[in-house]
Amino acid sequence: MKRGHLKLTGIGKSYGTTNVLRGVDLEIQPGEFFALLGPSGSGKTTTLRIVAGLEVPTVGQVLLDGEDATTLPPGKRDVAMVFQSYALYPHMSVFENIAFPLRNIRTPADQIASLVREAAARVKIDHLLQRRPGELSGGQQQRVALARAIVRKPALFLLDEPLSNLDAKLRAETRVELKRLQRSLGVTAVYVTHDQEEAMSLADRMAVFMNGILVQQGTPEEVFRRPASVDVAAFLGNPPMNLLPARIENGVANIGTASFAVPALASLGSRDVVLGIRPPDIAVAQGGIDATVTMRENLGDDVIVDFAVGDRLVRARSAAMRKLAEGDRVQLHFEEAALHVFDRESGLRVAR
Amino acid sequence: MSRKSLRSWALVAGAFLVLAVWTVPLAWTLLTSFKSDRDVLAYPPVIFFEPTLANYKEVLFGPTNVLGNLVTSVIIAVVTTLLTMIIAVPASYAFARLKVHGKKPLGFYVLATQFVPPIGLIIPYFLILNQARGLDTYWGMVLIYLTFSLPFAIWLMISYFEDIPREMEEAALLDRATRLQAFLRVVLPQARGAIAVTVTFVFLNAWNEFLFAVVIAGAKVKPVTVAMFNYISVEQTRWGQLTAAALIAMIPVIVLGIIAQKDIAKGLSLGAVKGVSRR
Repeated sequence: MKRGHLKLTGIGKSYGTTNVLRGVDLEIQPGEFFALLGPSGSGKTTTLRIVAGLEVPTVGQVLLDGEDATTLPPGKRDVAMVFQSYALYPHMSVFENIAFPLRNIRTPADQIASLVREAAARVKIDHLLQRRPGELSGGQQQRVALARAIVRKPALFLLDEPLSNLDAKLRAETRVELKRLQRSLGVTAVYVTHDQEEAMSLADRMAVFMNGILVQQGTPEEVFRRPASVDVAAFLGNPPMNLLPARIENGVANIGTASFAVPALASLGSRDVVLGIRPPDIAVAQGGIDATVTMRENLGDDVIVDFAVGDRLVRARSAAMRKLAEGDRVQLHFEEAALHVFDRESGLRVAR
Repeated sequence: MSRKSLRSWALVAGAFLVLAVWTVPLAWTLLTSFKSDRDVLAYPPVIFFEPTLANYKEVLFGPTNVLGNLVTSVIIAVVTTLLTMIIAVPASYAFARLKVHGKKPLGFYVLATQFVPPIGLIIPYFLILNQARGLDTYWGMVLIYLTFSLPFAIWLMISYFEDIPREMEEAALLDRATRLQAFLRVVLPQARGAIAVTVTFVFLNAWNEFLFAVVIAGAKVKPVTVAMFNYISVEQTRWGQLTAAALIAMIPVIVLGIIAQKDIAKGLSLGAVKGVSRR
């Protein structure tokens, strides 16, 4: 069996009477890049810490490569972790930081130097080995943390928002390198982030957490195309999906003071729903829904345009709307196949 | 003269004034220690005199020498400091990291020991040690000093340990270190400043302590602070020898200060800029 298989069953964690995590079931295959996505306080970091062994779940089981690791201390698991703060040892040189895990597993001294050099070269910091962490830039510190994590070739590689302390440009670059690094090592990576773009671009598969519950998992494509709930829909995409409380009546959607025909939803009969439409799925078209431009934001490639539709706000993103100006009255077309329907009460996706 | 330079002159003058409060008595002590008995009592005081080493000779090798008492003081202060640190370092680390009951009461207890005038404790301590045959013994002295130094040291170091990011230890644990290795190789080196500050405070207190020593110490175990007192008698005060002994007694403190200086400065500033890079 290949190393780096992880399975969580029925994981729950509570501190006193507060439940921070409930019923998490998850299976990650060897070599997979798996993202745990969610807003802060959603339980994604707690899940990672449970995998690392830094927290013991209140209920449930952690299986690492088929063996029960639920209560195994961190040092007894074959996992390495990169912390958000990097958690480098400030009193040791970069070399000693990277060598630290090797010394702890009593690697022969002659091998340590070459292994440290190899790991440092992989993340391009082999010229910084004699420095102290305090003398490095944020990006360099981040690489030291990566090198320290990969040096002893763990089965499972855990990353807790490793890019959040970098500036935007460096973050995008490092993102690509990170994926390349993971692929070349063939290691399983579990990656915690609150940045949906990061999760979408890096992950083979991902899990979305909301309020301590794993609400959806799948490939980024699946999660983006078919969000399981209003919350997930609102969390993904930039700008996020338009979510319009609506009443469907015989193939007509009433949103506030506006209404439009949606023949495809006729089968729903009469029902209170939330209609979702992603900003790129909106087009200007004759014979559509009346709308007025209230704001226009230039992104360079695209523009984001805010429309007033009746008494609701709808945002669209496209290059074609460049010509629009504030106050313009147009008609909008919602791509019917791209409409997402959620139950008003439960917020869950309605099959159609 | 511009306003700014006037201001800086005023500041320098103020600094010298404050400095003088410490330096003038010290300088006076230094001068007196080299004076003959006649020059000590001369009135008006003489600034220029023929220096003599007679006081130092007497204090170190004469019939009333305090050499043995210096050794006693060193033993008491070193043992007190060692025991305090051996217990306080792991204790304060545990208080900082674990959810231990009594964390808040500890802070209050340390403060409370400052409320009680030491004079109020002397009699009960004397009575207890008397019962336990601890008067005029090393262990009696050290025990009494520990009652003050231990809570103080623990309380002082807790905040330093709290400032060391928990993630750093977690990283060490994930890097296959044992709990003990994580403590010794990751936490402790970062607490150097705190330890230096605490060692200095504890040693100073034990070394300089007089009030309890004068009651608990005896003929066998007599620290230098008490022994010096013998130069003041009913008939006369032997200022020359008293000042010479006082200056000799300052030497270990100065040496410790110089050794620990760098770490102390680090320790003090560490406490000042709390948790810069924490979430």
